[in-house]
Amino acid sequence: MEIFNGQFFALFGASVAALAGIGSAIGIGIAGQAAAGVVSEDPNKFGQVLVLQALPGTQGIYGLLIAFIIMLKVGLFAGSMADISVAQGTFIFAASLPIGLVGIFSAIAQGKAAAAGIMLVGKKPSELSKGMIFAAMVETYAVFALLISFLMINSIQF
Amino acid sequence: MAIVELSKLNVIGLNDLKPQILKSLMDIGVVEISNQDAKLNDENWKQLVVRDGDDTTVQNLDSKISMANSALEAISKYDSSKKPLIKTRKPIKETDFEKGLKTKDETEEIILELNLAYKEIIRLKNEENRINTAIIGFQPWVSYKVPLEITGTRFTTVFIGTLPITAVLEEIENQIVPNTTGVVVYKVSSDEQYNYISVVCLHEEKPQVLDVLRVSGFNPITFTDMAGTPVECIDKLNEDLKKVNEEIQSYEKIITDLVNKKETIEMIHDHYVIENSRFKALSQIVKTKTSFYFDGYLPKDKENEVKTALDEFGCYYEFTAPEKGEVTPILLKQNKFSESFQSITDLYSTPSITDIDPTPFLAPFYFMFFGLMLSDAGYGVVLAVSCLILLKKFRLEGMMKRLVTLFMYCGISTAFWGVMFGSYFGDFFPVAAKSVLGIDITINPVWFSPISEPMTLLIFSFILGAIHLFTGMGLKAYILIKTGNTMDAICDIFLWYVLLTGLVLFGVGGSIAPIVATIGQWMSIVGAVGILLTGGRKKTGIGKLTGGLGQLYGITSYLSDVLSYARLLALGLATGVVAQVINTLGSLAGGGIVGAIVMLIAFVFGHTFNMAINVLGSFVHSSRLQYVEFFGKFFDGGGTAFNPFNKKTKYVEIIKEEK
Repeated sequence: MEIFNGQFFALFGASVAALAGIGSAIGIGIAGQAAAGVVSEDPNKFGQVLVLQALPGTQGIYGLLIAFIIMLKVGLFAGSMADISVAQGTFIFAASLPIGLVGIFSAIAQGKAAAAGIMLVGKKPSELSKGMIFAAMVETYAVFALLISFLMINSIQF
Repeated sequence: MAIVELSKLNVIGLNDLKPQILKSLMDIGVVEISNQDAKLNDENWKQLVVRDGDDTTVQNLDSKISMANSALEAISKYDSSKKPLIKTRKPIKETDFEKGLKTKDETEEIILELNLAYKEIIRLKNEENRINTAIIGFQPWVSYKVPLEITGTRFTTVFIGTLPITAVLEEIENQIVPNTTGVVVYKVSSDEQYNYISVVCLHEEKPQVLDVLRVSGFNPITFTDMAGTPVECIDKLNEDLKKVNEEIQSYEKIITDLVNKKETIEMIHDHYVIENSRFKALSQIVKTKTSFYFDGYLPKDKENEVKTALDEFGCYYEFTAPEKGEVTPILLKQNKFSESFQSITDLYSTPSITDIDPTPFLAPFYFMFFGLMLSDAGYGVVLAVSCLILLKKFRLEGMMKRLVTLFMYCGISTAFWGVMFGSYFGDFFPVAAKSVLGIDITINPVWFSPISEPMTLLIFSFILGAIHLFTGMGLKAYILIKTGNTMDAICDIFLWYVLLTGLVLFGVGGSIAPIVATIGQWMSIVGAVGILLTGGRKKTGIGKLTGGLGQLYGITSYLSDVLSYARLLALGLATGVVAQVINTLGSLAGGGIVGAIVMLIAFVFGHTFNMAINVLGSFVHSSRLQYVEFFGKFFDGGGTAFNPFNKKTKYVEIIKEEK
């Protein structure tokens, strides 16, 4: 049995999609540092800054989503994996790249925007929603990447 | 359902009656008193009037408020009764409020007492810390039996200190001995960092001894103000500590005994707040020797109420309509449904005087978008019901009430779309039935399942987006026409309608009938040429040519605006698929009791997490679609919210009784 068969590429794709979590982890980490700083000044702002800190987490979820759909598609949960040609496997791999890559970088950028939003809340607590929107602006591109990945995988036929 | 029409109010009255007039206006609570700075700088006014105001009373009241606050803080620290989840104002009858104020002097004393006790506790806690640190400092010297005040005998000096653990005592002794008559270095104790030593030498040889010791890192220690052996010192400190603790307890008892006075103090606090804002209002008023003047705004439909009050005190007053272009504060009025959505407008900005109130227009879209993004019947019901419980259980007010009501409505919308897409906690019921009970059930979506037919939902999202954007553009056209810029409305909005509709028909109309595509083609051309020709109408020279091109290039922004609505699909998918992941995880343990328990745990934790993160996501992204895509088309914001002169109490809400 060959190692680099279609199934390998398909699972490799699922792994790449899940890598978007790297970005979310870094992004949430950046935001968390800023959040801790603000809370050290005013512990009552914990709830507000926590909301902002959570925002860069979605890319990780999008990555998980694509990885899960790939696993579902190749029948990993059904017990035995479907017979996938190398071509199909590489298709799946290619389809996982948008969310894998865009997820990582957009989550880091979003983390920075969220950290700035947290600083904003530190100075002006009433402007929480604006801080949230600034961070959400970045997420648009992760949403697009998710859609492209999803639509590609959805249209690959076995 | 719009911006409320305000009247301008000018009032002149007698100084003698001023306190009653202000009190009465505050009771009515519908007038915003304007700042009179402009009048005070105006030559004509300056000669007649001076600023009213009573800064000393305001300061006095400020300090009383902060005293009451710290008394309440002290109480909340020692109040063992259960605190409510959400702080709400307590309704109280006006007569009861006044009754509560009868014991004002007594309450003030209690506040003072609480403040003193609280301050003492803080001081004593510091003392406690100091003593504890001192005790720790004595610990290494426990086996040193020489009283600390003894620094030597007739011929010898004795001193103590620390040496780094790396220094070898014998070596040091050997270094000292050749230069001196003799020395005793005695190790009292040691820890990871230091040897604690005592040294005995002759008085006159102390400098030499110290020199050698210092090279090895010796650090002398003296305990000031302490007498006796270290063990005695520790005993004494422990006794002090006990005394301090007893004192703390006695002060804590003072506070805990007064916990039941919390409500009275809260009432007094609010009483001061009311007084304070009344005295602060004085600084917005100008006066002569015997009379005063102020102006302000009030909702037009409240004129009669104010009229009656002012007549009673014999004031001269007039109501006028604000002049055109006058910047007045903004008061919004909503119907029952859009009321809660005003929180979304408020979070962005108060509309400016030239805006229209966007709330009624954004409300249906927000309602729908939130539901589409969360789109799970289970989550929707949980969200709606928990918000309903909050609303029933607590007397919420203001922004809090609006947001909770908003989420309740959004929960209903979420449940609706969940049913449409066949998602009930994801695919929980089929999965649970299969893995635990071993039976197959399927729940069919009423409309379709987004996971298997994403393209349908994507197109649906784009259509919704187009309607949303067109609504925004329509509102802009309405504003332009209302302000007399009909030409702008035609060139900047109507031509775009033609072009964009034309492009859509040109693109997809062919599948309906070829003629539709042809119509679309011509509409696009008419629209594009129109924009090209009129885009530069406000520019001069070469700008007339390039302006149109620049306008036409704006088509890319419409494209990106519509694409942005793809998030409706993406967030909906995120909720649904993560819910599936959770259910799949739960089903991994198989059937039987164990399987059911694992399923239950995965259900509770997994779905709580998924719901929390996706409610946040749906809130943020629905808001973003309003703020960026929708408001960008027509809404400026930047107005000042109407802020009437009324009782802004924190703890109690004073209910007026019918006479």
